[in-house]
Amino acid sequence: MFRISLIKILLSAFLSLSSQFVFGADRVKVVDSDGEPIVHALIQVDNQKPIPVNSLGEFTIEESSTKNQILVFAMGYETLALNPKEYQELAVITLEPNQESLDEVVVSATRTDRSVEDLPMPVTVLSQDKIQETGGIRLSDVLREQTGLQITSEHGSNLQMQGLDSDYILILLDGEPLVGRTAGTFDLDRISVSNIERIEILRGPSSAIYGSEAMAGVINIITKSGTQPKTLNLGLRHRSFNSWNPYAELGINQGKWKIDALYDYFQTDGFDLTPEVVGQTQNPYDAQTAQVKIQGDLSEKLELSLFARGYLENASGALEVNAGDPSQRLISLDNQLRDWNFNPTLRFKPNQKWLLSLRGMSNWYSTLADSRVASSGEEFDLQEFDQFFHRTELQTDFQANDRNLLTFGLGQIIETVEATRYDDKNRFDAGYLFLQHQWNPSDRFNMISGFRADLHSEYGGRFSPKVSAQYEVSEKFSVLGSIGSGFKAPDFRQLLLNFNNAAAGYYVFGSTIAEEGIRNLEEQGLIAQILIDPASIGELEAESSWAFNGGFKWNPDPRIRVQLNGYRNRIENLIETAPVARLVTGQNAFSYFNINSVVTQGVEIDLGYTFRENLRFSFGYAFLDTRDLDVLDQIDQGDLFKRDENNITTLVTRSDYGGLFNRSRHSGNFKINYQDRLTGINLALRGIYRGKFGFADLNGNLILDDPSEYADSWVSLNLTASKSFNDRINLELGGTNLLNTQTPNQPNNPGRVIFAGINISIFKN
Amino acid sequence: MKISIKHLAISTLALGLFTACDESDDPMPMVPVETQMVEDFEAANDVIDRATGTIVEERPFQFFSLEQNRQVTEGDDWDLAFKGTTIRVNASKNVSAAIVTGIFDQIDSVPAEATFATDTETEFAIPTGGGNGWYNYNPALNTITPIPGRVILVKTTAGNYVKMEILSYYKGNPPVADIDPFTTPSAHYTFRFALQPNGSTEF
Repeated sequence: MFRISLIKILLSAFLSLSSQFVFGADRVKVVDSDGEPIVHALIQVDNQKPIPVNSLGEFTIEESSTKNQILVFAMGYETLALNPKEYQELAVITLEPNQESLDEVVVSATRTDRSVEDLPMPVTVLSQDKIQETGGIRLSDVLREQTGLQITSEHGSNLQMQGLDSDYILILLDGEPLVGRTAGTFDLDRISVSNIERIEILRGPSSAIYGSEAMAGVINIITKSGTQPKTLNLGLRHRSFNSWNPYAELGINQGKWKIDALYDYFQTDGFDLTPEVVGQTQNPYDAQTAQVKIQGDLSEKLELSLFARGYLENASGALEVNAGDPSQRLISLDNQLRDWNFNPTLRFKPNQKWLLSLRGMSNWYSTLADSRVASSGEEFDLQEFDQFFHRTELQTDFQANDRNLLTFGLGQIIETVEATRYDDKNRFDAGYLFLQHQWNPSDRFNMISGFRADLHSEYGGRFSPKVSAQYEVSEKFSVLGSIGSGFKAPDFRQLLLNFNNAAAGYYVFGSTIAEEGIRNLEEQGLIAQILIDPASIGELEAESSWAFNGGFKWNPDPRIRVQLNGYRNRIENLIETAPVARLVTGQNAFSYFNINSVVTQGVEIDLGYTFRENLRFSFGYAFLDTRDLDVLDQIDQGDLFKRDENNITTLVTRSDYGGLFNRSRHSGNFKINYQDRLTGINLALRGIYRGKFGFADLNGNLILDDPSEYADSWVSLNLTASKSFNDRINLELGGTNLLNTQTPNQPNNPGRVIFAGINISIFKN
Repeated sequence: MKISIKHLAISTLALGLFTACDESDDPMPMVPVETQMVEDFEAANDVIDRATGTIVEERPFQFFSLEQNRQVTEGDDWDLAFKGTTIRVNASKNVSAAIVTGIFDQIDSVPAEATFATDTETEFAIPTGGGNGWYNYNPALNTITPIPGRVILVKTTAGNYVKMEILSYYKGNPPVADIDPFTTPSAHYTFRFALQPNGSTEF
């Protein structure tokens, strides 16, 4: 990320230290912003071998003939470049902390503030600058550019991490879970990036502190908390497809009380990749987000915060059915989504050792899908879904001493759901507790161990342990690893669905109502044969995993950053449908069962290189290997065949098998950030590569095993240019998928998108 | 409907002829087994009201005689009857069927493990439902595709053995990628079969 204000830093360092100003001093001291010497700083003159400072943070450079540039750098600090004149005029050099390391406090990994440097787990923190450089408006725009993450299209923008879908990824907003999923997908387009301070991406299972869904990882979205007395930012973004995004952010900080508010409006006409078919690929929609956060000190030891958020989304579209009266075939669609959150929190800190946090979290989520015959307005289909989720949690942090931090949490969950396809109003109750120990037995070694126990009214109990550790081999090299278990509770659909596909004549029952559903069909004389005793259905277990993550962080040179993580997830008890009874019509009734086992494994690597202060490169690569173990069994038993277009049937071999659909074996990104010093323009050029992936079965055996079943790889070339005027007006201009690559098997790629935006700070701070 | 005959050389058949020459006391002289191709045998499903699930218009089964290699009527000696994805066998004429896994061309005799059954009140010899009998339902594309490697064995009205492979459920036997589940006419069977007319279990 760029420090726009290199000159400002120099200037402020210059001015604030003018009392120590010594003209032409031969000895120069490197200090941090508190004036403490930085004893590990290095000085490099004209690309020669860097020399370390002495134990007082001081150094001298011999007077020699030519010196063009002097670089001052230290791990954890922004690198400073001086010309000889500047160097001669300074006696003290102040280095600003590096935003990418020391500033990066991560809360999602341990539910306590931890520096990312010390975390023994693979974490990526996206700062505001990194979010802005993507030019993104919705969360999906930002995450699609990160190593190892994919956004696929499945009931909305579906995030994929470590080869696992959105169902297995927990999304947190300021540490509290977001609910409201469609067929398991949390649609990332629901989140506006306008007031995001940073995004934490935590890879690997975290069920040991978060419980269900945190199997592949956790995304924690941290919203802004005002640090200035008053801020008012107004912004407007425009992009292709008549998309508009005006927003306003307000912040007031009066010492004891802080208020942050956001209003964000988004509208788009959507796009259509198949104009020959009625209905767009993405329907036009508008979305409004309003959010208020109030934080205040009730007393010296007691802090209150209130968070409220409302999200409204309206979409409209059309589709054509292929049966019935031709004048009645055009159907108009009208979809609404409402999402309300209210989270009050009390924090009590009686002394330096103890911290108690009492959190309440309530979420009301509802959708309405209203489909009508366009010509007559007659009802075609109406689907309603209402979900309520409440959680009360007490967390206690006890800092026993410098080396031991204990966290104990206890919580209760109430969840209700009422929907067109479910009978009655359903309520689930759950309780949990978690315990975590953060231990630093030495300065070089730290370890986090913990577990969580969940007790749920539907799927029983779960115990999720996790241990992770990091060892600093040297200042430049650390190794880290973790072993943990993750789980995902059966969702509403799998428990409660009561669905009759009238046209095709089949039924699907959630596991809790399957017995009753089959009995009803039997009474109506519709059952020809029971395949599985319905009395035995209903004991659906949570999907569960064991995962290993291991890797290293390596800074061979202060300008080079390398991070690598390898992982293996093995998931058991994947929930799938299977027939439970054959109907007299020849069709089947289905229910849900724990069937499959799946393995995802891979390696992800990130490389960062600061070539010069104003020119940085980064490179990311992810290798992913996935497999369904039951498919492998079938292959080994010789039960799987494939047939080509000449009707030649052959046995499927292990080498034919390509793993799970929609997974790219190879993916990566390359990013160049450049700041032009003359004009102050920041440029961020990114190439995002998605390797070939299987999109559908085309030879009848339902598995990925034929070259024709793969979609081509592609590169999205994205460019953002931004410039700040007086630190008060920010302009951005850019585009994504500049090569306009069409990817028919990836319906969330609209082609080239051009964008422009402006942000104005009304108050100068 | 169009029925055509393709003469396919079957290696096992040639092998069988050679051995037949050697063994003069073979009680069953080998007769060439021909593989027949049946294209676009139409067997439309009932019309079902999408909203209510009730049958608006009941359609008849379409009957096929493997012995005669042609469409017949219910009163004739039919072997198989088709409607939508459902395939019945003629239980009243003791037709039975078994499903085996293997490569059509390589199945040179009725395997010992094949268990033949006929249709009963509660059970079809050729099971219905995706993944159970002859087809898979592809949830990503909403298509019905025959399961590769599934071979249906039928004992006909005349007591002869048939091996049969369904190749497509869509009109014109299009590649799966070209099927639009909403517009491509379905319930048009393309299948091939080989009938051993001498009553033996060899193909």
